[in-house]
Amino acid sequence: MTADRRGLRWLLASLALQNLGRRKARSFLLIAAVAVASGVVFTGATLMRSIDRSMAVGFTRMGADMMVVSEGALTNITAALLTVEPTDLVLDADLFAKAQLTSVSRATPQKIARVEHSGIGSHHESADLIGFDPALDFTIQPWLVEKLNRELLPGDVILGAGREAPLGSQLLIFGKPHTVYGRLGKTGVGTHERGVFMSFRTLDALATSIGGHGGGSPPAALQPGKVSGFLVELAPGAAPLQARFAILSTLKGVKVVTGDSTMSGIRQGLAALLDGVLALMVLMFASTALMVCVLFSAIVTERRGELGLLKAIGARRSQIVGMMVIEAVIATGIGGALGVVLGILVMRLYERSLVYYLENVGVPFVWLDTPQMVAVAVAAIVLASVIGALGALYPAWRASRSDPYDLVRGEG
Amino acid sequence: MLSCLGLRKDYVTERGAVAAVAGIDLQVAAGRFAAIIGRSGSGKSSLMAMIGGLSRPSAGRVVVNGTDIWDLTENELAAFRNRRIGYVFQFASLLPTLRLIDNVALPAMLNRGGNAGDTYARASALLGQMGLGDHLDAYPSEVSAGEQRRAVIARALINDPAMILADEPTSDLDEQTEIEIMDELLAVNRERGTTLILVTHNLALAEQAEQIVHIAGGEIVE
Repeated sequence: MTADRRGLRWLLASLALQNLGRRKARSFLLIAAVAVASGVVFTGATLMRSIDRSMAVGFTRMGADMMVVSEGALTNITAALLTVEPTDLVLDADLFAKAQLTSVSRATPQKIARVEHSGIGSHHESADLIGFDPALDFTIQPWLVEKLNRELLPGDVILGAGREAPLGSQLLIFGKPHTVYGRLGKTGVGTHERGVFMSFRTLDALATSIGGHGGGSPPAALQPGKVSGFLVELAPGAAPLQARFAILSTLKGVKVVTGDSTMSGIRQGLAALLDGVLALMVLMFASTALMVCVLFSAIVTERRGELGLLKAIGARRSQIVGMMVIEAVIATGIGGALGVVLGILVMRLYERSLVYYLENVGVPFVWLDTPQMVAVAVAAIVLASVIGALGALYPAWRASRSDPYDLVRGEG
Repeated sequence: MLSCLGLRKDYVTERGAVAAVAGIDLQVAAGRFAAIIGRSGSGKSSLMAMIGGLSRPSAGRVVVNGTDIWDLTENELAAFRNRRIGYVFQFASLLPTLRLIDNVALPAMLNRGGNAGDTYARASALLGQMGLGDHLDAYPSEVSAGEQRRAVIARALINDPAMILADEPTSDLDEQTEIEIMDELLAVNRERGTTLILVTHNLALAEQAEQIVHIAGGEIVE
């Protein structure tokens, strides 16, 4: 680009900037309107993505929508987590694989054995050994708050929040060494707090030791091909009641336990709410674009004489359009930046109550990290500028098509 | 050389089409001073706008040095207005948010061949010639109507045009300023050899012209 073209662009840009300064009140109102719209969009987008992330973390931690166990098995139901209680009533491990239920998204099997004299904790302390399939699990690993920097291997164990042992240390279970792979966060559920978690393969390797120490055969859940129960996640849109009937009519000798139904409701409700917020944001930006368009139609009408003059002295159509668009982009860009600042202030104001509310329903609130928030802020400002450009484009293009003489006479 | 052939301009009104210019044939030789006179509404400003590439004719041709300007593309026509024509309108036609020197330099800046440093030096010199050397950085609202009109003449000259079109350039000025402005325009015509076409209803001004075109009802009358 030559210095002369830079000079012309600077002259046209300064003309646009000074035009904004000519009608201070109008420019202020335009900037304020765009700031509000951008603020809403920035706040909405940030919260949406934060809630989305929180849901990803929180709802996976919430685990299952329902649990399927053998009829007569004891169960522990809490708002946050469904867990199977140790029982001798077992189910076939391939029960769900055979059934192919469309209302079920995922089903993860668990084996639970309550053992004594295992070497875990004090001498007479009983401990729950919980086996899971790492490939299918969605209820245990999301609770990991710390872990070794590698995959879970055979011989590894995960401790509940109520048990203390350094990561990587050796834990003897029935005299066999196991590596402490990770530790779960606090769940508030006894089985989990004091439990020792491991893969099926690790638990199966202990089966003979458990039977030997107890003086009899190993617990039924540790028999090959048997599990204590299944934790089930519903397919998107599936109603819990519908799924329950489908499971009971397809699988014989089972009991279906549903957790706090508000959790599924919140999960589906929040997803719908986020879709609604997105639609609202799109509408808001569309209405802002229309507002800019109407405003710039009025500005063009008011400034017909000047535009005609510019055309008369040789300005090309693209330069006329460019000047008006630059004017709009400057105003809406400033509005967008102010909107981001406004959004940050609003989020600071409501941060406590929002975080409190979400944690109350079991969702740990996870804010976007700084680079992502900066990206959303930049996107909001760019979007505001684009809206300004689009809003000014049509009136500017229309004016640029008129004959200079008609514009000068105020008829273009 | 300027030639207008069968030039016509119709405006559509609620009562039907009205011919502002009803088929005019006109020739003006290069370097001449021509005055177009007529009463208000006679069609002289519409004729001037078509000659200057500001208003598309309903029919007819405007040929400047062998080129029909209304056959040019939009960008070519913009370049023609920029390089070949200097306009002096009947109103204060400066951009209010630019300084006088920026206003004068703007047509040259729009002309892609221009050099910013040279352009501003020439704008400064032209304003100096018009007696506005002390007002380069002034905004239009800070100078008198006569000074604004002189700045407009300086702007019209910045690209050294072949033709100056002045549409009642002194209609809102006092008598003394009117004489000064006309002196400036005549000086441009005589000293630079720039064709000057002046639209006026002031017969005293028109009498100074080498060619007088009298228009009534959109037609040339003898």
